[in-house]
Amino acid sequence: MNRRQLVPLALTLGFLLVVVTLLVAGGLYVRSVVETSFRNAERIRTARLHVTELLNEQLDEETGVRGYAAVREPALLAPYYSGRASFAASWSRLHRNLVELSLPAGLPPLRDASEMNRRWLREVAFPVILSRRPRPSLELRGKDLVDRFRIDVRAIDAALARRGAWYNARAETAIVLVGALAPAAVVAVVLAAVLFTVQQYRLGVRLERARVASEEERRKSAEVRAAYETEKRIADTLQQAFSERLFPELSSIGFSATYVPATEEAKVGGDWYDALQLSEDRVLLAIGDVTGHGIEAVIAMNKARQLLIGSALLDATPHHVLEHVNAELVRARSPIITAVSAVIDTRTREFVYAAAGHPPPVLLEPQSPARLLEFGSLPLGVTTETEYTTQRVQTVPGATIVLYTDGAIEHSRDLAQGEALLLEAVESAVRHPGEETAAAIRDRIFDGRKVADDVAILTVHLS
Amino acid sequence: MSAGNAVKIIRLSGELEISRKYGLRAALTLSEDAAPVLLDLGEVTYADSIALTELLRLCVDAQRSDRPVAMVIKTPQFARLVQYAGLAGAFKIFDDETAAREYLAGLTRR
Repeated sequence: MNRRQLVPLALTLGFLLVVVTLLVAGGLYVRSVVETSFRNAERIRTARLHVTELLNEQLDEETGVRGYAAVREPALLAPYYSGRASFAASWSRLHRNLVELSLPAGLPPLRDASEMNRRWLREVAFPVILSRRPRPSLELRGKDLVDRFRIDVRAIDAALARRGAWYNARAETAIVLVGALAPAAVVAVVLAAVLFTVQQYRLGVRLERARVASEEERRKSAEVRAAYETEKRIADTLQQAFSERLFPELSSIGFSATYVPATEEAKVGGDWYDALQLSEDRVLLAIGDVTGHGIEAVIAMNKARQLLIGSALLDATPHHVLEHVNAELVRARSPIITAVSAVIDTRTREFVYAAAGHPPPVLLEPQSPARLLEFGSLPLGVTTETEYTTQRVQTVPGATIVLYTDGAIEHSRDLAQGEALLLEAVESAVRHPGEETAAAIRDRIFDGRKVADDVAILTVHLS
Repeated sequence: MSAGNAVKIIRLSGELEISRKYGLRAALTLSEDAAPVLLDLGEVTYADSIALTELLRLCVDAQRSDRPVAMVIKTPQFARLVQYAGLAGAFKIFDDETAAREYLAGLTRR
């Protein structure tokens, strides 16, 4: 499993983890809220019970004192004593309850109630019990104090009731939340499942696409290899054919040639050269290059060669030859071809040529530097409107003419440098003869480097 | 590519080679209108034979439909290549855009 496959899984697990954490946290919170609410509701119930006790105890005290005041019978004071006995304990329990409930609002009325009880005892109960005759003024005073006591106790009860209602509301909210958490959990799990499925699906699609692409690549590379093998066969065949080529045998003129197929794959084919004796003194020289590579280029090259030779046999004037070939190639919608058609007269040493989009011939004469001859017109196969011009060059004994294809100058993409290197190579090869001139030029240009494009070189040396 | 003053301008730059063949073909396809074509190759430094063929095709198509073509070529490397390809005699080539525009404007006025 690679990283891309792990991503959706990690995302889904992460999502689930967050959801579960939220659910657990929510559940714990709700539980604590409900628990607190129940505990406190219990406390509130107890506290309100104590409130009632406090009221009853005060009532008992009051009832005892009233009874005694009416008939002066000491036995009637029994409720008074029992109320007094338990009042303090009830008060303390209620006080503790209020503190536990954090209900400060209840404490001042509680203290006030205690104070009222004490004052009632001191100002009403004790004087009535100790007095021997009825004291009606004290009864009024007692009613007033007891009313205030009751108001205090009711305030405490109201505060307890409010707090109780608040706890109930909170518990209810929490319970509603629990009700909502369950569907939320279901939705989240369903969402996670959907998310995971979608991601898995998309991953599947991506993997399938990658598989198809890699298969396509394998197939293509197989095709490229096959194409390369074909190219290689073409290259080998061409090289063999060119190396077995026989040149005209003339005493006044020497030929040399080389053909180097491109070493890069899918680049081979399309260059050619010819040297053909037309008459006793005249030799047709031709060189050409088909745009494009591969088997189509080789077919186009063969066709152009035959056309050129056929035309030259009828009329070897260079521009006539090119015009004829051009018309035929345009008509046949052939690939575009660059070429030089030339004739060398071995007797007069006049070199005539016409160029069609092709690098011009190089001329090297004794005591002169090598130079490029005039450029020509558009390549063959572009338009029938192209006009070609025959250039005439009078050469001297010892002159060397070099025809070549663009591979000999375009190897570095810097034409000026390519040109300079070619001229230098021609001079060096001619002035330091050792091996065949064409091969020497090739070696000096490429110096063991790879040949990116086909290279054809044809040299003619006049004695 | 842009159109201005009723002259269709095609601008190319860098090295034009087989890897850019389809892009080149798209760039060098003429629309139906009959505006003259200014082919700005001022920034081109190299073109292989495939690219040159595409350029040739465009020029020939334009000439066939009577649309004048002016080329702007500035780099010496590309100028030499164009000379090798035999384009120099067949098409109007300028070394700055203003001259090319003036040439095209002159043709339109006539």
